[in-house]
Amino acid sequence: MLSIFSKIPTHMDYKGQKLAEQIFQGIILVSAIVGFIYGLIIEQFGWTVYIVLTGFAVSCLLTLPSWPMYRRHPLTWQPVKPEPSGESREKTQENTKRPKKYK
Amino acid sequence: MNTVLSRANSLFAFSLSVMAALTFGCFITTAFKDRSVPVDISVSRVMLKNVDDFTGPRERSDLGFVTFDISAHLQPIFDWNVKQLFLYLSAEYSTKSNALNQVVLWDKIVLRGESTKLSLRDMKSKYFFFDDGNGLRANKNITLTLSWNVVPNAGILPLVTGSGHKSIPFPDSYETTKSY
Repeated sequence: MLSIFSKIPTHMDYKGQKLAEQIFQGIILVSAIVGFIYGLIIEQFGWTVYIVLTGFAVSCLLTLPSWPMYRRHPLTWQPVKPEPSGESREKTQENTKRPKKYK
Repeated sequence: MNTVLSRANSLFAFSLSVMAALTFGCFITTAFKDRSVPVDISVSRVMLKNVDDFTGPRERSDLGFVTFDISAHLQPIFDWNVKQLFLYLSAEYSTKSNALNQVVLWDKIVLRGESTKLSLRDMKSKYFFFDDGNGLRANKNITLTLSWNVVPNAGILPLVTGSGHKSIPFPDSYETTKSY
């Protein structure tokens, strides 16, 4: 039973985290601007609050679960290498084979 | 932003900051507005008695009875930063003992969404119009003004006096009937 829940992914990769932050900030800012203008026109500040709360709920739905679109750039790890015997060989290998820089 | 809880935290904090900014915007759009409207006050009947004031000095004090009409259009006061108005009618006059006396005779709360057209006929005062002595008799300049507190959603609590007041003279003699 618990294994079903532990299989749900909750982690995002770095690009996904950036995307999630941009998405929720955008949604909340847009709903805030729309709500402010709407509330100013109909002269009800309560509607401004409701519209911002709607934006909050939508962005919760979009960014709290780790949807697959936030996991499309997984980190490329180096493959596990067998333990080398000599220490001097290990150092030269580390200098020549640097991990690919993440973009 | 790596776990669900840290995302929820930053989402909540950002929403709260945005709400605070919006509330400040609501305040700033209405902060410099003139909330004074013309008020028409007329007084139909003035009666003056001299009775024992059991709450004040141990002497007989002047007690005034004013019957008044008020009409005003309060619609221009209301906007999205007003929750309610607290209207009160006050009488101002000067006596020998005090340069300025202010007595609240009547008040009314107008909530948002209620009728904003104030049209009251033959109203009696809610509160006793007691002077702390005998300053009401033959006082020729007793001024009635309607003022209001604007209760906002956010920001300051303005106290506005309506334009238009009524000055009335009080009679020179006391009513002697005991039917009050």
